[in-house]
Amino acid sequence: MEKTITKDILKDELFSGGRPAAEVLFDRYGGMLFSYIQQFVPSRAEAEDLLVNIFSRLASRLEAAFESSLSIYCWLQIEARKIILESRPNVHSRISPQEPDTRQSERKVYYSSLLEDASPEHQWVFKELFVSGRQREELALAMNRDVAYIGDILRECMIIIRKKLA
Amino acid sequence: MLGLASPDEASQLERLLPFYPELQAAVSDFGFQVELYAIQNEAPPPSGSFSKIEDRLRELPAVVRHTGKGSNDKKGNEYIPVRESSTHIRVHKYWRIAFIVVFILSKLLLIGFIYFLIQYRHAERDLRTIQEHTNKTNLSPDAQDNDK
Repeated sequence: MEKTITKDILKDELFSGGRPAAEVLFDRYGGMLFSYIQQFVPSRAEAEDLLVNIFSRLASRLEAAFESSLSIYCWLQIEARKIILESRPNVHSRISPQEPDTRQSERKVYYSSLLEDASPEHQWVFKELFVSGRQREELALAMNRDVAYIGDILRECMIIIRKKLA
Repeated sequence: MLGLASPDEASQLERLLPFYPELQAAVSDFGFQVELYAIQNEAPPPSGSFSKIEDRLRELPAVVRHTGKGSNDKKGNEYIPVRESSTHIRVHKYWRIAFIVVFILSKLLLIGFIYFLIQYRHAERDLRTIQEHTNKTNLSPDAQDNDK
């Protein structure tokens, strides 16, 4: 089945009345979102719970997806991240990139794997902002830097990711 | 695309998009790359995930809250219209088996009814014939006696 489709084609499929919206979305994006979720929660059972939660909440909000300037998948991804961060307790990570990581080194997955060539500071900032959901101000305070510095690092991470994806 | 933009950055982008086609193209292109990456890295969800989603959706009907003027004063009597977003009703799958059994049973009973109705009519006709024959037999000895 063709995965990348336009909003118009998806709209036609959804409003043809043949299948419920949740089923259409799950068929197209279920696998994609499942692997996306696993970068936040490596446990498969927890990832499945989140997947169920996400689809049951987002299936009824598709109007917002169609009105957004983003593609359907990007909208789903962004909303899924919000739901994931809401549902997870605060993740205790290293206070700063300089402190040694006493936990077992985590497998780099998904977007983090695209930053393997970046500096540890870039990787840490991206992980804390994206996966852990910390705010820029919080990281700036932890690193004794200003918020603009965090913004610059994030921008550089996004440039690296964009180049890797292209 | 990844949800990392601050609200100010996101609104600034939304404001600029209509005026800069190259920006729109860049956003669209990056979104496409993100989607392709997701497709390349997708992992099948555990089997049974969709049935759990269906169960969850059945528990949560779509509720539309109309918030008009003065609604704050009427919280106690708030009317919540429930809007069903689907054009189809959904019942448990065992209703299909029950429906088929009832349908077949009703057809069998109908066939039985027609069969026994026909049998009854035949029996009735036979009985009438026998009665007529008996009446004729009873009458004919009387006629013979009269002739004598």
